[in-house]
Amino acid sequence: MTEKKTVRVNDVDIAYVDEGEGDPVILLHGYPDSSYLWRHQIPALAEGGFRVIAPDLRGFGDSSKPQEIEAYGMQTIVNDIVALTSKLGIRRPHVVGHDWGAAIAWMYAFLMPRRIDHLAVLSVGHPGVFARPSIEQRAASWYMLLYQFPGISEELLRRNGWRLFKEIMGRDGDHDRYLRDMARPGALTAGLNWYRANRSPEAELRPARPFPPVLAPTLGIWGAGDQALREEGMLGSAKFVKGPWRYERVEEAGHWIPLDAPEVVSKLLLGFLGTEDSAQAERRPRRRL
Amino acid sequence: MTDVVIVGGGIAGASAACKLSAGGLEVVLLEKQQAYHDLVRGEWLAPWGIREAQRLGVYDCFGAGGAWEIREWMTWDEAVDDDEVEAVDMTGFIPGIGGPMSFPHHAVCELMAAQAVGSGARLVMDASRIQVTAGREPVVTYRTPEGEHEIRPRMVLGATGRGCTVGRQIGVTMRNSMHHWGGGMMVEGLDSWPADVQAMGTEGDVMFMVFPQGFGRARLYLNFPAENKLRYRGEGGVERFLAAFELDCLPDRGKAVTEAVPAGPLSVWPSVSSVPEGPPLAEGVVLIGDEAGNADTVLGTGLSCAMRDSRTVCDILLGSDDWSPAAFDPYVREREFRLDRLAFGADIVSRLHVEFGEEAVERRRRARRLMAKNFAAQVTGLLNMVAPEDVPEFGFSEFFAERLFRETA
Repeated sequence: MTEKKTVRVNDVDIAYVDEGEGDPVILLHGYPDSSYLWRHQIPALAEGGFRVIAPDLRGFGDSSKPQEIEAYGMQTIVNDIVALTSKLGIRRPHVVGHDWGAAIAWMYAFLMPRRIDHLAVLSVGHPGVFARPSIEQRAASWYMLLYQFPGISEELLRRNGWRLFKEIMGRDGDHDRYLRDMARPGALTAGLNWYRANRSPEAELRPARPFPPVLAPTLGIWGAGDQALREEGMLGSAKFVKGPWRYERVEEAGHWIPLDAPEVVSKLLLGFLGTEDSAQAERRPRRRL
Repeated sequence: MTDVVIVGGGIAGASAACKLSAGGLEVVLLEKQQAYHDLVRGEWLAPWGIREAQRLGVYDCFGAGGAWEIREWMTWDEAVDDDEVEAVDMTGFIPGIGGPMSFPHHAVCELMAAQAVGSGARLVMDASRIQVTAGREPVVTYRTPEGEHEIRPRMVLGATGRGCTVGRQIGVTMRNSMHHWGGGMMVEGLDSWPADVQAMGTEGDVMFMVFPQGFGRARLYLNFPAENKLRYRGEGGVERFLAAFELDCLPDRGKAVTEAVPAGPLSVWPSVSSVPEGPPLAEGVVLIGDEAGNADTVLGTGLSCAMRDSRTVCDILLGSDDWSPAAFDPYVREREFRLDRLAFGADIVSRLHVEFGEEAVERRRRARRLMAKNFAAQVTGLLNMVAPEDVPEFGFSEFFAERLFRETA
């Protein structure tokens, strides 16, 4: 894989992989990954005629890791992507996200309907579904509450040779890399700050605003073995999508679909990106006085 | 200008490289392997060693390298009846530390070396023919595929382990003794073994050890009498090694272990302990870790000692510009005191647990009864968990040892 480049946006340095030529695709990883998550898809998409941009989102990989919770609000991170794409001269990319990256991709899609071509989301459904989780989803998300206590969560996860962190991660994803990444200075707090900024009980109390519709053609992919995110998130997302909606359930994958079923994901993306027309924004009838 | 050359990139050397380079010194770390791989070394860090790792700033290297906290020690042993088997909770010996850690040695060393490089140290892999000349201006020469090299640093740390390569070059002599042989191998697929539980016990003519590393992996060791030292050598050695864990005292006759899958080389060695006959240093050279002297591996304190050595010596090097032999007096004195205690304890443990035959079994039975009756008689066992200076004094008296063996004779 080629070297990562770095660009300064929004007061942070964002490291990213930039490979291939053609229509641009942005690949957004989740927790606790980095652009490395997409190592199987990057060459496949580049080979398939796309320019692939895979950033390390702020707080992860080789990008900056501000230590304040406020630095990790969803809107701020969406702004990182907007700033990154405009610095690279990209006007209308396909956006693909996994886990937290999927949450960012959803938000990017409904906030910037004219700056997105196709949307593909893996594992995580529309934030509108997650705003009213079932009790089963709340139980599966227990760790998000554990991550809420600055300093204390870090200590609990790190002590006894990172025992609790290992137990939470199990043998999934790039489990043998996560700990090395998280042990880098400031990385653990930075990663947890994503949950603190966006998944605190306090955030749930904030009045909900209606979500603008997603107009882009959208592909949702969910792994049947996912222990962290339940299928309801993806199934319930359909009603937030105005554009063409397609749902794929991958039986042989858990939460880390890009790693568990690398070829299936590459194939789905190659077959989906750039194939559909987006829905038109609703024109509100002018009010006549 | 190089301040310190460290010979040996194991636990002692690599951790010292981390601490010294983080402290701003120019450090060169020489390692003989081309790349780190499983050499079957000690992989058990006592709670007091974990505290040293924290002080050295290398704690995360253990976790990230695969360290796993072990919480209980089941006293499975032929001299313990099924209904008397105890689960010893190992998590409470040092507040805030938890139980001992078991980890893949080479993976942790590799991460430490990388951390040292990250703080500015120079790491040289594949360094052979390392020659150290002590003196006010010490000289280190070594060879790599690129050719011969020479460094004139202010100080050399010898950390080559039991091989004692640097020690021999600077004239530190050792008093060696060998009580038994040992062997070790990494296994995986140990799924029905409880991940929180370690076992150390004796049955027949083996003393066995199982140290889980989480997710079905474990390091197995066997200690056995020197008379039959070749039993795990040659063809079928791996199978014989695993089959040796088919023991009556283990649950299901050790099925969880005997059905495990080898996940690394099997290594067998004479279990030698070496006590230096003088201070482990010379002008311009200080020895740390096993190279500075060691107790029998049955105690499992080798790595903890290595961390303590590394921390103590680094503190001296970072604390003052006086790097004369006299400046290391506190290290030499503390180490001598520590090794005295460890050697004393290891001797008791070896005689109790790594001797075989009917007489030895009977002695173990009586010792267990004595220890059950008088808790204080278990004092030697503390040496695994807390630092040697924190173990009560009476455990190191000839009187205690004599009584233990006389009353159980």
